[in-house]
Amino acid sequence: MSSAVSTSVELPSSEISRDTRPVVRPRYHDLQRTFQLILATVWLMDAVLQIQPFMFTRGSSGFSGMLHSTAAGNPSVVAHTITWNASIVYHQPVLTNTLFALVQFVIAFGIAFTRTLRPALGLSIVWSVGVWWFGEGAGGVFQGTATPFGGGPGAVLFYAVLAVLLWPSQGSDSPFVAARTVGVKNAKLIWLVVWGVLAILSLVGSGRQPKALHDLVAGQNVGQPGWLAHIDKVSESFFLHHGTSAALLLAIACGLTAVSVYITPQFTQIMIVTAIVVFAVIWVAVQDFGGILAGGATDPNSGPLIILLALIYWPLTAGELPRPTGTAENTVIANDGVIANDAVIGNGA
Amino acid sequence: MDTPSWLYYLFGVAMLVVAAYGVFLLLVSFRFGDPAGRDVDIAHLFMGVAMAGMFVSRWTFWPSGFWELVFFVLMVWFIARSAQSIQRFGLHIPHEAIHVLMSLAMLLMYWFPMAASSNAMSMTSSSSHRILDPGVGLLLAFTLFGSAIFTLASPIKGASHHGTHAVARRRALAPIGSAVSGGDSSVEAEAEPHLRGDSSLLSAIASPQLEDLSHVVMCIGMGFLLVLML
Repeated sequence: MSSAVSTSVELPSSEISRDTRPVVRPRYHDLQRTFQLILATVWLMDAVLQIQPFMFTRGSSGFSGMLHSTAAGNPSVVAHTITWNASIVYHQPVLTNTLFALVQFVIAFGIAFTRTLRPALGLSIVWSVGVWWFGEGAGGVFQGTATPFGGGPGAVLFYAVLAVLLWPSQGSDSPFVAARTVGVKNAKLIWLVVWGVLAILSLVGSGRQPKALHDLVAGQNVGQPGWLAHIDKVSESFFLHHGTSAALLLAIACGLTAVSVYITPQFTQIMIVTAIVVFAVIWVAVQDFGGILAGGATDPNSGPLIILLALIYWPLTAGELPRPTGTAENTVIANDGVIANDAVIGNGA
Repeated sequence: MDTPSWLYYLFGVAMLVVAAYGVFLLLVSFRFGDPAGRDVDIAHLFMGVAMAGMFVSRWTFWPSGFWELVFFVLMVWFIARSAQSIQRFGLHIPHEAIHVLMSLAMLLMYWFPMAASSNAMSMTSSSSHRILDPGVGLLLAFTLFGSAIFTLASPIKGASHHGTHAVARRRALAPIGSAVSGGDSSVEAEAEPHLRGDSSLLSAIASPQLEDLSHVVMCIGMGFLLVLML
C-alpha cells in the first residue's frame, strides 16, 4: 500500500533556476500522518454538514428533533439523558448547533496542525463518546438495533477508535500503521474486539430479521437521487428475501476478519480486502452514504470509517513501505522554483 | 426559524476577502513583473466574487452566462496547464488539477443552481429545473475539504499557489544591490530602494501562509455551497 499523497518542496532561492533537470530530494511518506489527515478531512466534512440549514431549525426534521428521535426504544435512564440534551438544543438551536459545528471545525483543523494534533485527537475521543450517547442514542445497542448494516454500534465510535490508533508517535509503520502507537499486541486486540463486536451485532436483536433490515433501507430512501433509490429497492428486496442469510454472512466475514490478524499476513490482506469491499457495498447500498445525498445527514455513517480502520491494519513489509518521493520519476524542479507536485488534493505532510 | 443569515454573510465576506487578496497578489505579481501564479490569483478573484453572490443574494451581479463563460475558460486553462505539467514532468497528478476541480465545481453550481428550498444561493439561471447529481457534489466537496486539510498540514507553505509568489517576495526583501533570480521571467532583478520600506508589509500580506489560508477558505466555502446543493 502506498500513501495517497506526496509533497511539493519549495527550494531555497539559491537553488532556483530555469533548469528543469530532475533533482532528488528524499522525503518519506508518513502513512500515519496521511491517515490522520484523511480523518481530519472527514471531521471537516462533518463540521460543514453540521451547518446545513435544517440543523438550525427546531422542527422534527431539525437538529433537536433528530436528537429526540434517538431516545425512543432506549432504557429510560438513557432516554432521559438524550431528551434532556435535545430539549437544550430545542430551546437554543442556533447557539447549540453553532457550538457543535465549531467543535468539529476545531477538531478538523487541530488534527491538521502537528502542534495541536494531540489535543484535537483527545477532544475527538471525548466528543465522539458524547455524540454516541446523546446524538446516536448509544448507537441502538440498548435497543437491539445496532446492526453493522445500519452503522452499529454507532458510526461515531469509529472516530474515537481511529483517534486512539492514529495517536501520533515516532516509529515504523511496519508491520502495520495501527501498531505504531499502541504496539502490535494491543492493536491486534483492538482489531479483534472491534470486528468481534461487529460480528455479534450482525446476529443479535433485529440485526438478522429480514423485515427489520428491509425497513432499515426503506426508511432512508426518501429524497435520494434516482440511481441510489433504485439500488435501495434492490437492497430492500434482497433483505426481505435473504435478510437472515445476509446477516449470517456478514457475521462470518466480520468474525474471520477479527481473527485474521492472528493468522498469516496474506490471510489478513485477503480479509481486509473483503472487509473493505463488503463495507463499501453496505455504505452505498444500505447506508445510502449516511443519508448525505438526501440532504439530511450530519455524518457519512460507519462505512468510510470502517474502511479507513481496515486500511491502517494493512500488513506492510519492509519492501512495501513507501519509498522516498523525491525520485527522478516524480519530482522535478519547475522553473518557478517549486518541485512539481504529484498529488491532487494537496501537499501532504 | 431558518439558517441564521449571519452565517451566509460570514461566508460571503470571507469569499470577498479571498477575492480582494487575489487582487493584491495580482498587483504584487505585476509590480515585480513576475507572471507566475497569476492564473491562480485570477481564479480566486472570480471565484470569490461569484461565491459571495451565491451566499448573499444582494451581492450578485452579472448574468450567470458571464460566470459560466469565465469558469469554463478557467477550467480549460487549468486543464491545459495540467497537461503541460504532465508532458513536461512525466505522468503524475499535477497540482493544477485541484484548480480544474474548483473551476468545474463553480461551473456546475451555475449549470445546476440549488433548489429553492435553501435561501443561501441566489444564482440567476434559466436552467433552474436541472439538478446536479448529489453524488457528484459530495465527491467534489470531499475533495475540496481534503485539499483544505492537506494544504493546512503541509510543511511547505505557499504550495497552494505553487509557491509562485516566492520570487516576488524575495525580490522585495532582497538587500539593495543583491541579485535574485528565478521565476518564469527569469530576470536578474535588483530590489528597488523605494520598495524596502514596504517589504515587511508586503512580506506579511503576501506570506505563503496567507496564500494557503486563502486557498483553504476558498475550498471550505465552495464545499459548503456544494453541500447546500445536496
